[in-house]
This record gives sequence, structure tokens and C-alpha cells, in this order.
Amino acid sequence: MKKEDTVKLISSDGFEFVVDKEAAMVSQTIRNMLTSPGSFAEREHGQVTFPEISSTILEKICQYFYWHLEFASGKDREFPIEPELTLELMMAANYLHT
Amino acid sequence: MISLVELCIDAACKTRETVDKWRLQRRSLDCLPSPLADALLRRLITRRLLHPSLLEIFKNSVEEVDLRGENSVDAEWMAYLGAFRHLRYLNLSECHRINSSALWPISGMNSLKDLDLSRCSKFNDAGINHILSVPNLVKLRISKTSVTANGVKLLASLKHLSLLDLGGLPVDDASLASLQVLKNLQHIELWDSKISNQGAAILNTFPKLAHLNLDWTNVTKLPDLTSLECLNMSNCTIDSILKDGKAPLTKLIFSGSTFLNEAETLSYANTYFLSFLDLAHTGLDKFFFLSKLKVIEHLNLSSCMMDDDSVEMVACIGGKLKSLNLSGTWVSSAGLGILAGHVPNLEILSLSQTSVDDTALLYISMMPSLKDVDLSNTNIKGFLHQGSSDLDSLSLTALQNLKQLQRLNLEHTQVTDEALFPLSSFQELRYLSLKSPSLADISLHHLSSVPKLTKFRICDAVLTNYAFDMFKAPGTLKLMDLRGCWLLTKEAIVSFCKNHPQIEVRHELVTVLPFEENGLHHSSPSRLTSKTMQAARKKEQTSLSPNFVDQRTKYSRDELLALQFMSLPLASSSEIDDSILEKQLD
Repeated sequence: MKKEDTVKLISSDGFEFVVDKEAAMVSQTIRNMLTSPGSFAEREHGQVTFPEISSTILEKICQYFYWHLEFASGKDREFPIEPELTLELMMAANYLHT
Repeated sequence: MISLVELCIDAACKTRETVDKWRLQRRSLDCLPSPLADALLRRLITRRLLHPSLLEIFKNSVEEVDLRGENSVDAEWMAYLGAFRHLRYLNLSECHRINSSALWPISGMNSLKDLDLSRCSKFNDAGINHILSVPNLVKLRISKTSVTANGVKLLASLKHLSLLDLGGLPVDDASLASLQVLKNLQHIELWDSKISNQGAAILNTFPKLAHLNLDWTNVTKLPDLTSLECLNMSNCTIDSILKDGKAPLTKLIFSGSTFLNEAETLSYANTYFLSFLDLAHTGLDKFFFLSKLKVIEHLNLSSCMMDDDSVEMVACIGGKLKSLNLSGTWVSSAGLGILAGHVPNLEILSLSQTSVDDTALLYISMMPSLKDVDLSNTNIKGFLHQGSSDLDSLSLTALQNLKQLQRLNLEHTQVTDEALFPLSSFQELRYLSLKSPSLADISLHHLSSVPKLTKFRICDAVLTNYAFDMFKAPGTLKLMDLRGCWLLTKEAIVSFCKNHPQIEVRHELVTVLPFEENGLHHSSPSRLTSKTMQAARKKEQTSLSPNFVDQRTKYSRDELLALQFMSLPLASSSEIDDSILEKQLD
């Protein structure tokens, strides 16, 4: 995996998630951060920090990115979500436009 | 593609137990953005998981609450809703347990802008006082409540009102006059009220009035209303209206009305921007006013005295036309010849109860955007005699040109089995209606290859059990209406239902609802009384949906099929006798 094909997503508690750019771009918000001219740091270093999103939630979101890609390519399996996480995950997903 | 937000809402609202897993997360609940909170609450309602005390957790986040038709909603629910700090929209229409005193908690709610109490029959003048203390109300619907003319007068203090629905209330001219102070009113519904011409005369004191409904009133004259856009005067007797020609009209509905001055009335109005005109059952016979309708999109001339000569008028304004209803008119196939080529955007065409025959199909095939064609009760046979040869051709073949055709109605026509053969290659056809005793097994065979067929009506046909059993239903089929197919037996239909659980079958002998994969039926929530809700709530141990025990999850499919033999609510008494006889034979 080449470095320029990946992005690093950093949670509020400092955990780093390295994911394919293609997967991260499932989020419209991340896509904008990585492509818009205004966000130099994100584009240059390929990393985004989310001070509002905990590692538990960010991990789930990364899983969703890959599930989304699989779903788009025709694989239809369930995406399990623990009921305890639904509220926080919902808010993060809303923020990330996924 | 399902968004993650959507997946989260699904996961949160699976069962009562899943709700218990997050309902105590106060901090998260309080900072939920309102669109999310609104969607979550809406889902809890449709899943029948909402109860009054659960409402409390949404008091700091939700802005919109739609409880229409929920029979359990009562004063206890209202007590919780009164604490919603940001509530902007509240719909309580058809909540039959809501009475005037139940509305007390909403008094003083500054955030509330939009309130719907339509058809709350226990709501009366006493409740108006609670509404008057909601100072920022912009939209208020109280149609079909028990409010009287005196109660309506009191509404004059709600200065911000822009929409007021008073339909079905005994509003008289005096009470309308007392509302003149409401200068922001843009939309007034006065259908089925006691307004007369005297009351209508003061409507011009509402400077912003754009939307007016006077359906079923005694109003015959309207003053000049300079900002009027939409007018509904169905079922009225119309003398003179819109004479000044200034109102920027976009939508006019006059269905079932009588014009004292016939088409003259319409020739004065400013109809240059009109996109919707409904003149059904008005009996009009002159159509010169149509020539001004340059941007008309929806035109309903059903049961007007339009003939082939006046179709020319429609052709001249056909450029933007999307739907055209000519049912019950004198238009014939020749008239369609005049229309063809002039209606490039026409999507919906009704020719029901006209004399059109198979030559019309050639003209119809030249209307490229058609999606929905109603040819019921016409002289369509499905065969066209072509001059040069002795052979008749299959006229429905012409409709293959219509690449977007989704809906076709051929009920009460003379089409036969052979004539239907061309339909089998219609790629987009989803809804097909046939009703004729001259159809038999072979039609069923032809139509099994329509790839996207979703709803299929084939009534009164002579279908045998064997052909029905052999019918290869398209995978998309959701509904099959076989009423009047007298040769089919109950056993054949039951076994079909068993083999095709996703298809809803309608027939006099059997009523079967489709079995959904998860056994739950949320799209049409049944009305539970609060007693059954409470009783069901106690059954916490049930795994799927504890407060709504679905009968279909309670029994296995075979048990259900067996149950069908025991109750036949739709069958006539003679059929019930038959079924009892059959059981005895068993």
C-alpha cells in the first residue's frame, strides 16, 4: 500500500486509523477536506484529526467505509451496530456525511 | 445505498430492548442535532415503540413531531410534549383522544409555529384559548373539529398566522370578517363552510392571499384578489370570478362546478401562468379560453363536452402538457390524430369511457413520453384491419414504441388473448389492469414474461387452476388481483400463495397478505387501542417486537394457511356455506 493511497484518521483519544483513500472518501466531509484548496494540512499530510470522535466510534466508521465499498460492488451482508453505539455513531456519521 | 445514519436509526429502533440500551445516554440525546432526533422519533412511532415517558428523552432535541392518526395519543402524551423546548411542528390530526383540555400543556410554547389538529373531533372552542397563548403560531389547521364560528373569531389575536385551515367548520361571514386583522394570511381553507358571497367579498382585505379553497360552499362571486395563485372552487356554482385578470394564477380546480356564464368566466382570468386546470364534470362545451394557457402542464377535461374539433385547442397548448384527462368526452381516434405530435412531454393520458378504437393506438404511440395510459371502457379490440392485406395486425404492438410505459389499463375493452401477446415484451410495464370474460389461460402465459410487472389485475377472466398453477410469476410481482375469476378454486389459490409468499393475492375466496421476511408490517401500522398497547407492553419477553405481537409471527405459515379456512370475512354467505360444507367433507 503506497502512502499517497492512504489517509490517517486520528480519534479524539489519539488513536490513528490508516485507511485507503478510496474508503475514506465514502465520507463527503473527508472527501472535501482532502480535496478542497482551503485545507492544506489535511491534503499535504493525508491525515485528519477528529477532536469530537472517540476511537470506538471512529473504528466503527472505518468498518462502514469498507462495508460501503463492498455493498457498492454487490456484496449484500448486514452491517452490525451495537445499540449502545447508535446515538454517538449517528452523530459522527451525520457530521461526516456518510 | 443506505447511509450510516440510516443504519444507526434502524439499529436503534429494532426492539424495546435495543431502545433501553441507549435511552439513558442523556448527554448524547441532548446534543442530537434536530434532524437526527426528529428521524429517530419518527422511526420509534412507526415501529410502535414510542410511549409517553419515552418522549421525555427528546425534550431538548426534537423540533418536529408527527403523531397523525395515533389513537393512543392523549393528555399524558401532551404533558410530555409541552416540555419540548424546541418544538416547531406538531401534527395531531386524527388523534381521536385529543380534546380541548389535553391541549393545555402547549400554551405558552414560544417555539411552536405549525400545529395540525384536523379531525380531532373532541377539540372545541374551549381549546382555542390554549392555542391563543401560542404566540408565534404561523400555521394552524383545525378542519373538521368541533370549533364553532365563535371559536374562529378568537383566532384574530394570532397575528403571525399565514395559513389557516377552517375546512368543515361552521365559519360564517361574520367570523371571517373578524379575522380581517390577520394581514399575513396567505393560505385560507374554507371548504364546506357557511361562507356566502358577502363573506367572500372581504377576502380582498387579505393582501397576501395566494391560496384559497372554497370547495362545497355557496360562494358564486369572488372579488379581485391580486395575489391569488391557487383557487379551489370545486362543487360550487360560479357566477363571476377573477374578473380583473391580475391574479398570477397557477392552479385552478373547478371539478363538479357549474359555470353560470359558461366558458366566458375563464376568459377574463390571467391564465398565462396557469400550470394546473381541473374542469372535470363541469359540462363545459366551449374551450376558446384554452388558447391562453401557454404553460399548462396538467389539464383535466373529464366529462366535458369536448369533441374532435375542439381537440385542436388542446394540441395548440400541448408543448408542456404532462397529464391530460379526456375520459368521458366525445373525443374519438381522429381527435387523437390531431393531438399526436403536439404533446412531446405528455406522461399521463386517460381516454377511459371514450369511443376510441384501435386506430388511436397508432397515434398514442407517437406520444413519446407516455408512462400511464388508461384505455378502459373503450372500443379497443387489439386488432387492426389494414387496408391492403386481409390479415388483421395486433394493434397493441404499436405501443412498443413507448419506451417508458409503466401503467396500462385495458379493463372493459374487447381485447382477447391473442391481442395481448405484444405486451409480453414491454420492458418498463409495471401496472397492468385487465377485466374481461373473454380472457383465458393463454393471456396468463403471455404476461408472465413482462419483466417488471409489479401489480397485475386480471379480473373476470376464465382462468383454470392448471394455468394458474403453471403461471411463472415475474420476480417483481407484488399484487395479483384475480377477483371475478370464477373458475379458480380456493385450493389452487391457497397453494399459489404458499408458493409465492411475496405476492398479495386478491380473490373472493381468499384474502392473503404477503409474508414479509422479518414478519413485521410497518408500512401500514394497524391502529391499536391503548388498552391493547398496554397489554402488549407487558409481554416484555417476546423477542421481536414486544408491544406489537404480529399474528404472522405467532403462527407458522402452515398454521396460518390452515386458519384461513376457518374465517372468511369477505366471502358471501353462500360461499361460507360452501366452505363449511367443504370442511365437513374433509
